[in-house]
Amino acid sequence: MSTIPLSIAKYIRAMWVSDMIMTYLQVDRDGNLVSWSGHPHHYGLNHLKTGQAVVEQVPFLEGFLPVRHTEILQFVGTESGSAAHVHLIPTNEGTSILLLDATAEHDRQQKVQQQANELSLLAYQQSRLVQELEMARQALVEEKKHIEQESELKSRFIANLSHELRTPLTSIVGYTELMENVQKDNDEIVECNKDIENAENYLSTVRDNATHLLSLIDNVLEQTQLEMGHVVLQASNCDIKKLVHELHRVFYPAAQEKNLDLRLKITNDVPARLYIDELRLRQVIINLLNNAIKFTTQGYVKLQIDWQDDALIFTVTDTGTGIAEDIQQRIFTAFQRADEVKHLPGVGLGLAISYQLIELMGGELTLLHSSEHGSTFQGSIQATLAHTSAENLSIAEVQDAKEETSKHYVILLAEDVNSIRTLMEFYLQTGGYKVICAENGQEAYELALQFQPDIVLMDLQMPVMDGYHAIEALRNDAFMQPIIALSASSFEKDKEAALQAGCDAYLTKPTQIETLLSTVTQLLND
Amino acid sequence: MQQKKICMIGDFSVGKTSLVSRFVRQAFSDKYLTTVGVKIDTKLVDLVDGRQVKLILWDIAGNGALTTATASYLRGAAGYILVVDGTRRPTWDSAINLQKEVSNHLGDKPFVLLLNKADLRDQWEIGKQLVSSHMAQGWNIIHTSAKTGIGVEDAFSLLSIKMLDT
Repeated sequence: MSTIPLSIAKYIRAMWVSDMIMTYLQVDRDGNLVSWSGHPHHYGLNHLKTGQAVVEQVPFLEGFLPVRHTEILQFVGTESGSAAHVHLIPTNEGTSILLLDATAEHDRQQKVQQQANELSLLAYQQSRLVQELEMARQALVEEKKHIEQESELKSRFIANLSHELRTPLTSIVGYTELMENVQKDNDEIVECNKDIENAENYLSTVRDNATHLLSLIDNVLEQTQLEMGHVVLQASNCDIKKLVHELHRVFYPAAQEKNLDLRLKITNDVPARLYIDELRLRQVIINLLNNAIKFTTQGYVKLQIDWQDDALIFTVTDTGTGIAEDIQQRIFTAFQRADEVKHLPGVGLGLAISYQLIELMGGELTLLHSSEHGSTFQGSIQATLAHTSAENLSIAEVQDAKEETSKHYVILLAEDVNSIRTLMEFYLQTGGYKVICAENGQEAYELALQFQPDIVLMDLQMPVMDGYHAIEALRNDAFMQPIIALSASSFEKDKEAALQAGCDAYLTKPTQIETLLSTVTQLLND
Repeated sequence: MQQKKICMIGDFSVGKTSLVSRFVRQAFSDKYLTTVGVKIDTKLVDLVDGRQVKLILWDIAGNGALTTATASYLRGAAGYILVVDGTRRPTWDSAINLQKEVSNHLGDKPFVLLLNKADLRDQWEIGKQLVSSHMAQGWNIIHTSAKTGIGVEDAFSLLSIKMLDT
């Protein structure tokens, strides 16, 4: 085999050296640059000076010298923008450093690596998106489940409500028909006393069922208002003892009927009066006592009122059959009722409303315990002490004041519905008042200015001119006597609108005779 | 005047090159160009205590583990900066892994960990607890953004002081 001629070898070497743009540095044992050759400027190494420290002239050599064996640094990027493979070779005299151009190879590798990295980043972003989509999908599934449950609850509620509404209505319609028959019998003069007794019973039943129906409607409306955030608390000076006495009066007959022992107790440290929303507090305790009596067949129902750390604590205990464990978890959720009690009246709103009201008052309502021996509910609300020097007139004194007041006063009653107008006229005349009637807002306005009654009762929804406009017109014409608005709406915003129009009080229909007369008396005495 | 070599280490596309560019040239580009091998920059730093140091910055190609090439670049380093992309959790794991390997290779050298891309808070994947647990072990961890510049000067200054005081 023939060898390559020396001239050819030299030619190849020269070509290779030229392609590699080889640059050579010689460094002594002290780290000083001894000599150099090649193309240092290609690697950004300008102004090389022999005899000076090489690390100050070639920064990337910092920390490398001296080397004990050959080291290769690949793809070292230089200030000039080129890339070099740097070979560090130990010699007897120090270190030889070879820089060989790797720019083209660097650029090829960069292209490939760039693509790979970008693909990797894309894959990562994709997996993250998939993860987010999956989380969103799960959230939607949960939401759908929740909505379906709500929808099912509402459907059951509507079915239940329909039953609850029809039941008292059936009684009302039925007993009213019986009343018509009694009336016919009376025309034939049969047994008067028995007929009167029957009529009284029928009327009592009609009234009870109508009251129950009203309570049901109020509950549904209240729940709606709570859900919409429209309930506004109204704190007032509340006599706690009086409240408990009234509760005793209300629930004693029902407890007696079931042979239950009704125990109502106020501990000694409870303040006489508190500044609290009495109406809502009463509503909550009535709900709890109502349930306790409803679901207890023997034993007792107990209400205890305590005062601790500026909080009013009320505890209702019964000896009923208790609440099933799975129901306990959702006892305060609207429309929830256990299957065992579905035969008893109610739509599952009482506890939900009570819970929300107590929460609105900044307090807490909890089921302390429940077993087959009974249940205990406890609520607590922060309250401030109220002024105790308010005069408490006896009921007789109030009645006397009413009678005394009523003898001299004239009331203008504006109501477009004939039956309601007749009923209210009867109430007011029974209370000793003289009554002038109007059938619409325009007539009410004219009669009020003509006769200057002492007080006006104004229905808000009337033809020709509604109550709001009639009130505004009267106030604009300097009619200064008290005006009470009458409305079928229990919404706060309607009450606000009526007060803005200029009325002094607002009563919701149907109004109990006592409430109507005491409101009239109060305004006339102011 | 002293010269100190600092190596920038971390997974790919965490922002090592951008951090160097921000620190040395106060420049930033949104365009991603992967580093092959190593790029070297220098900067003279004036520290708050009046000392001066010339930093030789080795911006090493990104990798989740210590390669032979990376190991060769580390020789003579006075300190190192671990860089994490705060929007990619796997880069934190890479940094923790790299720290162990670099420590085995170089010995106990001062370092700081940078949680980069702090301007992308809505995409953040590094939990506070993870960071706190390492800070409790004595790690210096700084939130940085090569894009806005936040934390960048502080990071290099802190490492410079640690290297000079070693």
